[in-house]
Amino acid sequence: MSEVIVITSGKGGVGKTTTTANVGTGLAQLNKKVVLIDTDIGLRNLDVVMGLENRIVYNLVDVVEGSCRIKQALIKDKKYPNLSLLPSAQTRDKSSVTPEQMKKLTDELREEFDYILLDCPAGIEQGFQNAIAGADRSIVVTTPEVSAIRDADRIIGLLESNEIRQTQLIVNRLRMDMVKRGDMMTVEDVCEILAVNLIGVVPDDEQIVISTNQGEPLVGSDALAGKAFANICKRIIGEDVPFLDLQKKASVFERLAGLFK
Amino acid sequence: MAQPVIMKSNKYGIILILDPEIPFQELLGHITDKFLESDKFFKNAHMALSFEGRTLSAEEEYQILDTISQKTSIHVICVIDSDKEREQYTKQRVEQQLEEDSGNTGRFYKGTLRSGQVLSCETSIIIIGDVNPGAKIISGGNIVILGALKGTACAGADGSENCFVVALNMNPVQIKIGSIIGRSEDKGLLASIREHKRTTPEPQVARIADGHILIEPITKNTFNNI
Repeated sequence: MSEVIVITSGKGGVGKTTTTANVGTGLAQLNKKVVLIDTDIGLRNLDVVMGLENRIVYNLVDVVEGSCRIKQALIKDKKYPNLSLLPSAQTRDKSSVTPEQMKKLTDELREEFDYILLDCPAGIEQGFQNAIAGADRSIVVTTPEVSAIRDADRIIGLLESNEIRQTQLIVNRLRMDMVKRGDMMTVEDVCEILAVNLIGVVPDDEQIVISTNQGEPLVGSDALAGKAFANICKRIIGEDVPFLDLQKKASVFERLAGLFK
Repeated sequence: MAQPVIMKSNKYGIILILDPEIPFQELLGHITDKFLESDKFFKNAHMALSFEGRTLSAEEEYQILDTISQKTSIHVICVIDSDKEREQYTKQRVEQQLEEDSGNTGRFYKGTLRSGQVLSCETSIIIIGDVNPGAKIISGGNIVILGALKGTACAGADGSENCFVVALNMNPVQIKIGSIIGRSEDKGLLASIREHKRTTPEPQVARIADGHILIEPITKNTFNNI
């Protein structure tokens, strides 16, 4: 059975798009048929993070307006043929699409894909309403900062009132050194405030910046953030994976040792 | 008369129109049947009763009331004659009772109130869950939170100053009781979480003392003067 998952946060810049790219790629690595939809109309960037910008011919708005067929607009990933992207339109705005149209679109995509991931725009306006319209479940991304957590709380409330039952949390960009010093909230602090199930903790990792700039998602690599995303993907498909020990500073030796475990 | 007992009702209670001819014991049986038929409908209702069509002795009236209270869940507040003055009195009694009832009732809400959510009600309210920062509860009466209060609570929203706010874990952004507002200390959210972690949370109550909001632990005597 296919699932439609919306990745949202409320606040901008906490890593929704990076998460969508990495989770989508990670699910494709697990041999699932995945499609990513960039619903941030007017601020298109999931294609850039995926390194697929040069392949765009048609976009989301073209599909809902009937200017092209879905198949024509879907872009196949460079590495994984079972991963596709439906890019957003850059020259239009959020009002070009309605929640009903989004629901119809996701329902059509269910026939062909196992997972449909929706990259939600920041905010709680029409873009958000469009993105959640067809979703079965949601993943809320937050960083351990008060502003991001406050917005995430608001978003979780809105998801509940829109009857999206299953909401899970990713705490992104955690800095263990700051947590140890007591200068950053712990994952437990965040979970206590938001009271939703945790599906993953992604450490702050400069490798993410590098991979984003290269247009190659990090998931599956040895970098700690890459491992964290791989684990999140396994949890999404229902595997029980223990959380990474972020306390331990992985030395080169330990990383090598980890490879042979 | 076709029916020995006819039941009529108005806003304040029930009028029983009784057959003047048949023996009292038989009549009592009919009255019991009538009330049993409608017991579900009137469940736990407070009402006034009046009799028409037959003059009853005090003893007979007593027997009827006794039967009603034993066999049904209806609370008969009083018995009225049909004269105007006493009807007025009955109305007052019933209305007073209704008002007292609404003062003693409250609502339940189960779930976490999140940022941006506002819960408002005229009666007192009991929340089973947390009230997060950015969320707000407004109540005409008291507020009891079986969880953490980390947002804003307004008790006695109609201006009443003898209301209170209770929370198992009291860490509000703002509390308003009547027209008095109290706010949290000026420190960051992180510092406030740290501080609350150090101390084990205990149930606390916020109320007005000397024109300020006072928050203190709940003791045996807390509710004596409320």
